[in-house]
Formats: sequence, C-alpha cells, structure tokens
Amino acid sequence: MRKRLSVLLVSVLALSACGSGGDTADTDTAAASCAPSSGPVTLTYTTWIPGIEKVVKAWNDKNPNIQVKVQTGPNGNGGTYANFFNQLKAGNTPDLGHIEYDALPSFRVQDGLFDVAQCDIVAKAKDQFIPWTWNQVSFGDAKSAWGVPQDSGPMALFYRADLFEKNGIAIPKTWDEYAAAAEKVKAAGGYITNFSQSDINQFAGFAWQAGGRWFANDGQQWTVNLTDDKTKKVADYWQNLISKKLVSTVPPWTTEWDNAYNSSSAWTWVSAVWGANSIMSGAPKTEGKWRVAPMPQWDAGSTVAGNWGGSATAVFKNSKHPYEAAQFALWLNTSEEALALLNQEAQLYPATTAGTKLPFLANPVKFYGDQKIYEIFAQAATQVTPDFTWGPTMTSTYANASDGFKAAVSGNGTLSDALAAAQKQTVETLKSQAIPVKE
Amino acid sequence: MTQILSTDIEAKPDETAAKPGRAVKYGWAVPFFVVPFGLLFVLFYLLPIGYAIVQSLYTVERTGTFGPAREVFGGLVQYQRVFENGPFWESIGRVLLFGVVQVPVMLGVALILALLLDSGLVKGRRFFRLAFFVPYAVPGVIAAIMWGFLYSPNLSPLKSVTSVVDLLSADFVLWAMANVVTWVYVGYNMLIIYSSLLAIPTEVYEAAKLDGAGAIRVAWSIKIPLVMPAIVLTTVFSIIGTLQLLAEPQVFRSFSSAVTSTYTPNLTVYSTSSIPNFPLAAAFSVVLALATFVLSFAFLKATQRGDR
Repeated sequence: MRKRLSVLLVSVLALSACGSGGDTADTDTAAASCAPSSGPVTLTYTTWIPGIEKVVKAWNDKNPNIQVKVQTGPNGNGGTYANFFNQLKAGNTPDLGHIEYDALPSFRVQDGLFDVAQCDIVAKAKDQFIPWTWNQVSFGDAKSAWGVPQDSGPMALFYRADLFEKNGIAIPKTWDEYAAAAEKVKAAGGYITNFSQSDINQFAGFAWQAGGRWFANDGQQWTVNLTDDKTKKVADYWQNLISKKLVSTVPPWTTEWDNAYNSSSAWTWVSAVWGANSIMSGAPKTEGKWRVAPMPQWDAGSTVAGNWGGSATAVFKNSKHPYEAAQFALWLNTSEEALALLNQEAQLYPATTAGTKLPFLANPVKFYGDQKIYEIFAQAATQVTPDFTWGPTMTSTYANASDGFKAAVSGNGTLSDALAAAQKQTVETLKSQAIPVKE
Repeated sequence: MTQILSTDIEAKPDETAAKPGRAVKYGWAVPFFVVPFGLLFVLFYLLPIGYAIVQSLYTVERTGTFGPAREVFGGLVQYQRVFENGPFWESIGRVLLFGVVQVPVMLGVALILALLLDSGLVKGRRFFRLAFFVPYAVPGVIAAIMWGFLYSPNLSPLKSVTSVVDLLSADFVLWAMANVVTWVYVGYNMLIIYSSLLAIPTEVYEAAKLDGAGAIRVAWSIKIPLVMPAIVLTTVFSIIGTLQLLAEPQVFRSFSSAVTSTYTPNLTVYSTSSIPNFPLAAAFSVVLALATFVLSFAFLKATQRGDR
C-alpha cells in the first residue's frame, strides 16, 4: 500500500509540473495577429449542419491551397460544446467551430476564440450583416468579432390552417388572442402548442421579444437578470397556460414531440425559421396543412419578433491559420453559392442583408401549402431587437432553468420560481469561475 | 475489482516475503508479465486519478468580465464548494435509495435464476443461460432508449398502462430506471453466481442427499452459503455501479420531466464539466470516488466479519 501511495504521489507531482508548464505557454500565445500564411494550408472545421460536406466540397474544389476538412458531431449543447471545451483544455481545437450566439460568450470567457475583426477581410465585411447578428458576435464592441455570423432564427407562428379554419378560430395576432384561442383549441380536443420544458432557448426567444434582457456587461462586471418584469410577464403568461392544461408539455426534440405534431395534437408552434425543417421531418403526415404567420404581439399593432438560435462560425485561438480560416468563414456565410447550399440542405437562414433577398428565399414551399414562408421570416428578421446579450456560462444557466421548468410542468413550483432559482445559481456559477458579477 | 485483488494478495504476504530469492530465479519473466499491466494501470488508472486530484486543488482567477482565466492553487476551496452543494448530496441520497432497493432485488433474482439453472429442473439450460445474459450485451444507452420508448405515455406499445401511470413522472422514474438497470445486469450477475455454483464439488451434494436433504434444503443450506463469496463480489460491483449511474439518467433526461441535470452524482460531474468548471468537476469526482471506496470497503469488511 505504501508503495502504491508513493507511485501516486510521484505521478501527481509530475502532472502538476506539466500542468503549470502548459498554463504559461497558453498565455504567451495571446494576441496573434491575422496574417495570411504562405503555402497551402489545411483547416479543420467542426459543425453539426446537416449536409455540410456538400458545401465544403464546393469550397475545396475551388481553393486547392486552402483545403477544409469537416468533422460533424452532435448539436452544441448535445455534446459538441463539451468537446470544444475539452479540446481547448488540451490545446487541440479545430481551426473553425460552429458556435451558437448564446454560447459565444462562454467560449470567449474561456479564452478560446480568435478575434476575427483583426483580419481586414472580416472588418470590411461587417456592413454586409444584419446589424443585430453582428452585435451577437461583437458583444457591442465595434472593434471585435468573435466569429462570423452564419444564420439567424427570427421567430414566427407556425399554425395548422386546416384545423383553425374547420373550428372557426381566428389566427391570433396578440398573445391575448393566442391564450383565448388556446381555450377553443382545447375544447376542440387539441393543444394550442407544446411548451418547451427543457430547451430554454424557446423561452429565451419569447423573453427577447417581450423586451427581457437577461445579462448585461458593463466592462467591470456582469449583471444577471433572469427575473426582470418583462421576463416575468412571459413566465406568468405561460405558467397560466400550463396550469390550465391548455398546452402539452412533452419533452422537446423527442419522438414523443414529433408525435404530438404528427398526430395533430399540437396545433401551433411559435418557432424560428429553422423550425420549418423540424416540422417537415417530424410531422410528415401534416404536409400541406401548415402556414406561417407573424409572431403574436404583446401590444396589438406592434411588430416585434423574437429570435431563437442562430450561429456563428468561430475561429479558435489555437488556429495557426486564422486568416485562411476567416476567409473560409466569410465565403461560407456571405457567398450566394454557400448560402443557397446551406438553405437547401439545412434550411439555414442567412445572417447577411443581401442573403435574405436571395432569389431562392422567394420560392413557395410545398410543405406549407406553397406559401412563401421565408417572406414572413424576412420581415421578422428586421423586427428582432438588436441588444440581447448572452451570459458567459449559458450551459449552466440553461441546465438550471430547465431543471426548474421541468419541475414546473410536473406541477412543482412555477416558471417564475424556476427563473429565480436559475438566477441565483447562475450568479453562483459566475462566482465560482471568478467572473465579476453584481449580486 | 482492484480491492478484491488487493485483499487476495494481502491475505498471503508471507509467501513472497519469506523467499526473496524467487524474483532472481525467474529473471526477466516477472517484469515481462507485470510491465504491460503496470504500464496500462499507470496510464489509464493512476495518472487520471492523480490528474483529477491535482485539478481539484486548483481554482480560477481572472480580472474583468472577459479576462483570461488563470488556474491558481486553491487548496481545498473546491471541496468546500462540494460540501456546500445541496443538489450533489441529494443525488448521493437518491442513488443510495436506488441501491438499497435495486441491488437486493437484482441479486435476488440473479440468485434464483442461477439456482434454477443449476437445479436440473429446467430443460434447455444452455439456451436459458444465454437468454438471460443477452440483455447485458445490449449497450446501456441503447437499453435506456429502448425502455424509454416502452415507458413513453403516448408511444408505448403498452399504452393502456403508460397512459394511466406515467412511469416517467417524478414518483416513478427512479424505479423505472431501476428496472432498466436490473434488466441489463441480472444475467451478468446470474452468470457469476452460476459459475460459482458449478464449482461446488458433487460429493457435497451426495453427502447432503444421504442425510436426506431435499432440493430446497440443499439450495438453502449448501449452495447459497457456498456461493456467498460470489454474491459478495456481485454486491460490491453493484454498489460501485449504482454510485456511478450515468447512462440511464442521461438518456432519461431527454424523455422525462423528473430527471434534472444533477439527478445522480455522475450527472452532476458531467454537467459541471460542461460549464466548463473542471476543478469543481474534479473535486466532485474525487469525493464520489472516496464515497464509493468507503461504501465498498465497509460492505466487504462487514461481510468478512460475518464469516469469521
């Protein structure tokens, strides 16, 4: 036993030596500038966009000197972010990574990202992007960009036109009308929608629309505010629908969820543009019966949309070829060729102003009764308020809020309680990471 | 596994100590056989443990809202956080409750199945031995997904049951998972017990028969006491497995409203490391490992005392 212990001690000491050595090396590599590499380079890129191989092939065919190797994995919170964090720790991240807007601050706070605004080509491209998407990667700092905006998730109302018509229910334009419609839908034997208990992003989109602002960063410290009045209004609204059992609460992104839509049990979904793909793949039996309308409003006559999702293509700090990486990221997210492929393969909705006017977005979509659904989203994209800030530990904020939301839909506590608990836990998490936070 | 080995070795320390010349006689044979194991043991066992311990002693410092993190030695700061973390200790309580119920049920079933196979009452012994073992060949995640569908209120083929009793609700989900774990591991444990039943010399049975013992009496007074070491072994494995529950709750998390991100200790570790807060996750792991060791050893000691 004593021998074992000494072996253990030796290895512990050896490791601590390696550990401290590695740390100093990390801090030395800071502030690399963005200069083109000489000679051919190979870039690695990790993402979960379906069909990305085709898009990358289009780039590789034309750029023999900048070859991109793509790796696909599960969606961000489903595992790829955890991989990125581990790779950061081990110092072997890919050159480029797919990171959603809400996770960018988490990667920046872990010192994992390269500021692509240092690359002149990116700085020049800034004006091509829809202002609020750029704001999501710059965190409000004009001189920085922690990724190239890829897509956005303006929200709208997907609804079953056939069922609403058959039961003589008007398409709700305000949240009040939506709640009233929920009663009628219930009377007709359905649920107006399914409330997302574990994917908090949907709720975040609702809060965003209502004017809730969960995080603020004044440069000195963070402010966490998951319980501001606007967010509370949204929480109480949905709590009321949950308590009256007017919405179903099957866990999102499961077969059960697909079934709720496929079996016509849920009649509407307030979701992002990429949700069009989710319904098409999850509820094939309902083809031709869905339509899209603008998101219900808190005040009659106003035109504010929420946003759910949207991603950036980020360059990791360890990349040896940031210039070429930025070049690829720009092509991927601004060129008509790439945007058309991304939309065709994965229903991604461009983050550039010109992109939203591309001809393929004016096409009618068969699944939605030949409605030109992207016109609704194009309008919504301009109605998203630009200044929503994400916190630096969203993985944990989402997990905490989701734990509470799950309890609330099971009848223990309310959504407001859940947010209050998540607020407290988020502040704790920030403190344990030594991130300055206002209490 | 290791604790079993070490007790075996420690039981006869005098043998090696008494004959120091032995190692010379075998020359290179000893290192030849020991080095491959030793190397892997150090690389994949001691080093990761050592690394986790080192990690757990660090804490993060930074300046400004996006300042780069510096890992500095923090002593036992992370351990203090572990002990103040309510959900973590709740999750330990939860898996203990799980273990107290599930382990005896599973091993009881395994023992009965093993005794039935051994009794000669069953025809097609080889078939059943394989059939009971097959669930163990199903990867844990797949088993959990499969049972998740069976439990699902709207999709289950047993809808008449699941639409009345929501097996994925807070009241039942722990036991729904216990059922999955039992289903997977019962055959495995049965096999360990069964192979130890096969090792019992037939003379013992003959003697018992001559004394007029029936099949049940033989099972109760001879077979069970003689396979006790195998039962103890499987219990220790099960205690370890219970405290380490991860795959089932992780899968059920997406099906069930009742499974939170801190439902079991390992899920807490997983959630913490994906924040990412590696030092705190390491501290959770070390504490969990210690708790596992303490429980396994306590169980071993308690049963050994009973033997003597």
